[in-house]
Amino acid sequence: MNRKRLVVTVVLLMAAACFAFAAGSSETTTKKAEGVYSGVTLNFWSMWNSNEPQGQVVAAAAKAFEEKTGAKINIEWKGRDINKIIATALEAGENIDVFEEDYRRIGNVYKNYVYDLTDMAKAANYDAQSYACFNEEITKWAGFLAAITEQPQVGGIFYNKEIFKNAGITIPTTWDEFLAVNQKLVDKGYEPMALDSAYADFFFGYHLDRRIGQAVTTELVKNGGWSKNAGAVAAAQDIIDYRKAGYLAAGAPDEFPSSQNKIGLTGKVAMIVCANYVCSEVNNTTGANIDWGMFNYPTIAAPAGSGSTNAYAGANSLAITKYSKNPQAAFDFLMLLTSGEYDQKMANAASQIPADPRNVAPAIMNGTIETLQATSSPLSWSMGLNANPDIKANVKTNIIALFEGKFATGADFAKAMDALYK
Amino acid sequence: MRNDKKLIIGFLTPCILTLFIMYLYPVARTLVMSFFRIESVTAATSTWSFYGLGNYAKIFHSPSFKSAMWNMVRIWLVGGILTLSLALIFAMILTSGIRFKKFFRAAIYMPNIISAVALATMWIQYVFNQDYGMLNQMIRFFGGTGVKWLGTDLKFWAMLFSFIFGAVGYYMLIFISGIEKIPADIYEAATIDGASKVQQAMKITMPLLKGVTKTNITFWSIHTTTFFLWSMMFSPVDTEAATIVPVVYLYNTVFGSKGNSQRDAGAGAAVGVVLALIIVAIYFVMNRLFKDDDVEY
Amino acid sequence: MKRSPYDRINWKRELHFLPGYIVLIAWIAFAAAFLLWILAASLSTSREIFSGNVFAFKTGLHFENYAKAWRQQNVSRFFGNSLLYAVVTCVVVIFISAPAAYVLSRYKFFSNKMIRSSLIVAMSIPAVMIIMPLFSMTTRWGIKGRILLIALYIFSHVPYTTIYLLNFFATLSRTYEEAAAIDGCPPGKTFWIIMLPLVQPALVTVTIFNFLGVWNEFFMALIFANTEKMTPVGVGLLQIVNAMKYTGDYGGLFAAVIIVFLPTFVLYLFLSERIIQGVTGGGIKG
Repeated sequence: MNRKRLVVTVVLLMAAACFAFAAGSSETTTKKAEGVYSGVTLNFWSMWNSNEPQGQVVAAAAKAFEEKTGAKINIEWKGRDINKIIATALEAGENIDVFEEDYRRIGNVYKNYVYDLTDMAKAANYDAQSYACFNEEITKWAGFLAAITEQPQVGGIFYNKEIFKNAGITIPTTWDEFLAVNQKLVDKGYEPMALDSAYADFFFGYHLDRRIGQAVTTELVKNGGWSKNAGAVAAAQDIIDYRKAGYLAAGAPDEFPSSQNKIGLTGKVAMIVCANYVCSEVNNTTGANIDWGMFNYPTIAAPAGSGSTNAYAGANSLAITKYSKNPQAAFDFLMLLTSGEYDQKMANAASQIPADPRNVAPAIMNGTIETLQATSSPLSWSMGLNANPDIKANVKTNIIALFEGKFATGADFAKAMDALYK
Repeated sequence: MRNDKKLIIGFLTPCILTLFIMYLYPVARTLVMSFFRIESVTAATSTWSFYGLGNYAKIFHSPSFKSAMWNMVRIWLVGGILTLSLALIFAMILTSGIRFKKFFRAAIYMPNIISAVALATMWIQYVFNQDYGMLNQMIRFFGGTGVKWLGTDLKFWAMLFSFIFGAVGYYMLIFISGIEKIPADIYEAATIDGASKVQQAMKITMPLLKGVTKTNITFWSIHTTTFFLWSMMFSPVDTEAATIVPVVYLYNTVFGSKGNSQRDAGAGAAVGVVLALIIVAIYFVMNRLFKDDDVEY
Repeated sequence: MKRSPYDRINWKRELHFLPGYIVLIAWIAFAAAFLLWILAASLSTSREIFSGNVFAFKTGLHFENYAKAWRQQNVSRFFGNSLLYAVVTCVVVIFISAPAAYVLSRYKFFSNKMIRSSLIVAMSIPAVMIIMPLFSMTTRWGIKGRILLIALYIFSHVPYTTIYLLNFFATLSRTYEEAAAIDGCPPGKTFWIIMLPLVQPALVTVTIFNFLGVWNEFFMALIFANTEKMTPVGVGLLQIVNAMKYTGDYGGLFAAVIIVFLPTFVLYLFLSERIIQGVTGGGIKG
């Protein structure tokens, strides 16, 4: 018993020491500058962590803002799981001025708790330094401009430029042209398309959008009727034929991130249907230096298809709480962070698309700004396939099975989907 | 023993206080919420609208919830039998007088300590990988063709097996601490009477472990119903029917998911209540089956 | 009669154990391969990890992964916090749970079954549904800080520990208490001095489990440890995972995992001595 007591005491002393050490690390106080907002404190809940590239840029921007205006910004680094706790915090009236979240959730879920930014945005001429598609979407959901875009994302087909050059490929715009491109790649000894099962619904959703449009997909997912919809059956058949023709990389659909890594590891895989972050993800993880390009998912003209040329676009955005005591100060900080110098820093540090179209996209994100500016009706993630929470997981498994070749015809796939609605 | 009322109250009070402070309100709230239509899990009661058994109807009609429950049943039954049997066998082997007991014990328990994030990544990248994974390399060495371990057919079993491998050590430790409590004289007496090791295991160890077995089954059931992290690791980005479990379904329902911001806290509460009822039912059945009030040593 | 296991090797006796050895060694061979993989991965680059060349070490051993993980992520602060939370929780939980488990296993009173069922129910509701309402309440009332987090850790481990210890107390012979009563020892003192030490192996085991539970815990810490100063290891590891994913540094991720795992490994080795010490059958015979 004595030894145990001794051990417990020692451990507690160690803990106390650590506690003191942890508590004792104080922050260096910076000289308070005289400024427009001196005396103002802003509480910022960030979705990043302090050691991530994005987090470091946010911290630097905050410091610059403090020096310029005399305000004080308290940043709490919540990480990605902010989406679990922000709703509760807002309902409880937690002392927050600014928070970061997916713009879809800001516009739909938190709209009753965020500040209407329309007037402040107009005064700051925000339209000239942002992407219209995001502003319009969020205004559509919330009824007003509810958030400032911070990290835009765009989807499409990302490809290895060098492979395309070696194979003499021109960028396709229609599905038939695209199939021809795939064939040419196979003939030249390349593997056209990487696919990880995690993104199977993203790929199929895009294709459904080209056949029947996102709105119809959403309807089908919610209420069924797959077998009766010729376009949906045709879409599934397209995938079956695509696979049979041998256009999927060896082993696809594979477990994330194995297939996308093959692009960097083997240098033989040419394309992937994904969102823009895949480029730096593959380069960083595999240590390869792929020269990336992107093009919009090919269209299928009416009457066989929907003729849609929309691209997936999403954003992580910043919102100001409705009960914030200093909305204007917060807004000015947001402008500093998402435009000009700091936005460029963010884009370069994290290899992402700049929130300010006037900035320059890093080389790896070539072409993304233009695609975003050309997007008028952005598609949502998986283009409606996620619209029914009751069957979501089964839908995804069916789609992965489709890519695995488990269905003989498109009609079989549609039957399997309809079976979920009994 | 009747004068010990003060003792009983004194010893029990902190525990009861804990239940009141931390659990009473949330559990009661969850139960009530399951009968209402609510969007946010922490919404004020003024926003609730009565829905009767509607939430329960919804989840039991939901194919994804049904897949989740089916997965959970398989984890509980198949996983439970495998894990607890292996744990018991290892515990018995390790307490039978074998050498290097401490080393073996530590080695079997080790996977339980390492973060599930690292373990799951290791299983996916090292063991199950199609091209250079350990299993497929062994198969190819013997002339077979590689298997798609993480395809839609086998993913569930891959996930279950990875989980079992790490879980065995935990239950083994509990069995060991149960077996170690049995006084050695009982075994000595049995050996003198001519009982073989196997007979001793069946007639002495197993009956005396009834209480510990009951504990293990209860804990296993709780670990099964709260199975979460492994499911998320084997289906990154989004949930799949092959790996979905009730708590994952609950998370997606309560917090929304990728590309879908719909939330339904009432349905989430219903899921919570269903899971709790299952555990309580199992616990009561266990108590009936394993009556150990008469065992003392 | 204690015989040193090393003085004479009785081969006939050892042969009895052969099947046992085979089973154990087969299992452990796999476990070793897995753990070695993780260790090797922590000394590799991402590229090597994802191309299946973890054991080849083509580019040498990357010890800088560890240096980077330690420096970049302020790991020492995570450790300090987790150690504090875990130690306090483990100690206090025993003081709350052990007496309760003893009383529940020994005495028959009318609310006994109800309390046990309540403990089971408390453990079986998914943690999310417990934590979110608590979060809402504490936010509204402005309760924050380390004390809150530690209190919650303690409360959340009480049901588990109580149920665990209950079964061990139930199997103790009543003759111990009878003998103590004859000697004039009050029942409370009997518990602390005699009964509690008798379940020492169980206490040690459950403390190991509790310690690990708090050490690796991340959901409650995520919600209630609202400043970076209070962040424990579980949340810290999650942050590292997310950061590494963005920078593609999986070698660093595994290095961080090993760093996090080492203290618990040391603790386990240290405490596992105690698990062997079973009840030696002394005290009362016949």
